[in-house]
Amino acid sequence: MSARLSNRRIRLLLVFFTLAFLGIFGRAVWLQAVHARPLDRLARGQHHANIELPAARGSLLDRNGQELAIGKHAITVYANPRHVPDPRATAIAVGRALRIDPDRLYGKLADRSRGFVYLARKADPKRAEALKALELTGLGFYPEERRAYPQGTVASHVLGFAGIDNKGLAGLELSLNKTLAGRNGRQSVIRDPFGRTLKVLSSVPAEEGKNVRLTLDQTLQANAQSVLQRTVRRWGAKAATATVLDPTTGEVLAMASEPSFDANRFPETDRDTQRNRAVTDNYEPGSTLKVVTVAGALSEGLVTPSTQFSLEPKIQVADRVIGEAHRKHTERMTVAQILSDSSNVGTITLAEQLGRERLEKWVERFGFWRKSGIDFPGEAKGIRPFYWSGSTIGTLPIGHGIAVTPIQMAAAYGAVANGGVWIRPSLIANRPSQRRRVMSRRVSDQLMSMLRDVVIEGTGREAEVEGYQVAGKTGTAAKPDPSGGYSESLYVASFVGVVPASNPRLVVLITVDEPHGAIWGGVVAAPAFQEIARFALQYLEIPPDA
Amino acid sequence: MALLLAGVVALNVAVLRLNLQSDQLAEERARLRAESAELTSMLAVRSASARTSSLARNKLGLEQADPATTTYLDLGKR
Repeated sequence: MSARLSNRRIRLLLVFFTLAFLGIFGRAVWLQAVHARPLDRLARGQHHANIELPAARGSLLDRNGQELAIGKHAITVYANPRHVPDPRATAIAVGRALRIDPDRLYGKLADRSRGFVYLARKADPKRAEALKALELTGLGFYPEERRAYPQGTVASHVLGFAGIDNKGLAGLELSLNKTLAGRNGRQSVIRDPFGRTLKVLSSVPAEEGKNVRLTLDQTLQANAQSVLQRTVRRWGAKAATATVLDPTTGEVLAMASEPSFDANRFPETDRDTQRNRAVTDNYEPGSTLKVVTVAGALSEGLVTPSTQFSLEPKIQVADRVIGEAHRKHTERMTVAQILSDSSNVGTITLAEQLGRERLEKWVERFGFWRKSGIDFPGEAKGIRPFYWSGSTIGTLPIGHGIAVTPIQMAAAYGAVANGGVWIRPSLIANRPSQRRRVMSRRVSDQLMSMLRDVVIEGTGREAEVEGYQVAGKTGTAAKPDPSGGYSESLYVASFVGVVPASNPRLVVLITVDEPHGAIWGGVVAAPAFQEIARFALQYLEIPPDA
Repeated sequence: MALLLAGVVALNVAVLRLNLQSDQLAEERARLRAESAELTSMLAVRSASARTSSLARNKLGLEQADPATTTYLDLGKR
């Protein structure tokens, strides 16, 4: 080989290596400088992961610590349709494992334009684990928390509902969402190709949601619901409510509405059934409101319990004639008898003595026409008469042309039972109480004595509880007719009672909407009061006082 | 120099191991929390008073005591 040829080969090699080096250098510059950012992003995307650390939602507990709403383990199943080799076979396998219609899944799995689709949010963990064991390509799984209501129908109207993202959507789940939800944490990690964490870059721990203890007692609540269900069935009623309140603290021990539903099936339940009627619905209270007029007349010093009136069976008020429900003759009645016999004419006579301004003031003092402040969203505040006509002084004192909520009425009787002090009703334990004096202790004692007579010899005899003194008031109100005036066939029957009357521990209010066969509060609602009060007195070990 | 490099490598391997262990422990923690939630839920269902009274009535034939026959004893102040 000649030296010339050798030199030529060396030069060729030199050119080759130079070109190769330039190529490598160029590629390095291309990767490290020109394309550095997108490649860096790509690498971060492959190795780095920002993980949200979900905060566990707090539980809702009854007053004894029994869980009413809790977080349950669930697994969410998702898929990357681009990685699913056989969408049809996968849809059938997933559908079989999770008991979902495969046709619905197939549509999602066959859509290769998307890189992520949910197949089942918060699926049953056992079924999801069985599916995971099949090791199907393109499927992914991650744990989540699912809200569950272990007691089903118990307090479902009060608890409300937390949605698929664990956000409160109704009831106490909504109003207490901030406390229950906590705050999600974050973690930034580097992962290996198998998804294992190699390095934690930064971490902010999750703040778990706090448990909230309610004032409800699940045993009293379940009993109230079952009594209410029987009452609605017995009278073919449209709806009913029961509210059990401790008048000394304002704590609501039970709050039931009928028709009821399973809280776990909240989304499938119609909105009408979902309503917590005791707080969100207005009703015309009828005679249960008479206590306000009598309290006003006594407090203003216009009458005493023994002041007598000669009362006709009817009274003319402006253009209306209002009569008694039962009495047909003129009678002399004391103020005490007016309340215990539920005299319309007597109550209107007292209201006329009070006059419009003082009557309205007393209605407001008892907490009507404004929200009670109970910790439940969507509370109604009742309805004032649209305008004050000449006959309003006759209709308002007997509970017509005015609408109140059951919780307002229960709280008002709570004030009578609590020595004249109104306490804001509460569903959350240990909430600072709000109190105000509505009337003197003397007047509240006088009212309690009159209300006792309602049950002993008046319209509320069906509310008697053996061994206990009961004070209470019946109410029967025709429902407003949408076409004007009042219905002649649709009524709201109610009874509100205090027991034991000598040392009040419970206020129980029952309202029954549109009963059939009987309409009177003393016939329809008083027996439900008796059943609920009897059970509660024994359950709470409250000694008899009669 | 070689010793220093070996030390750095050993340290990184140890960190890697710890991170993997930590990952496994986090998974285990999540699993145990899920199990605990499941058991709490089961306990809540089983101890519901409505269920207890229904079982007492239907299976054991028990009845609610009549309040009229219930006697309360006043032990006075101790």
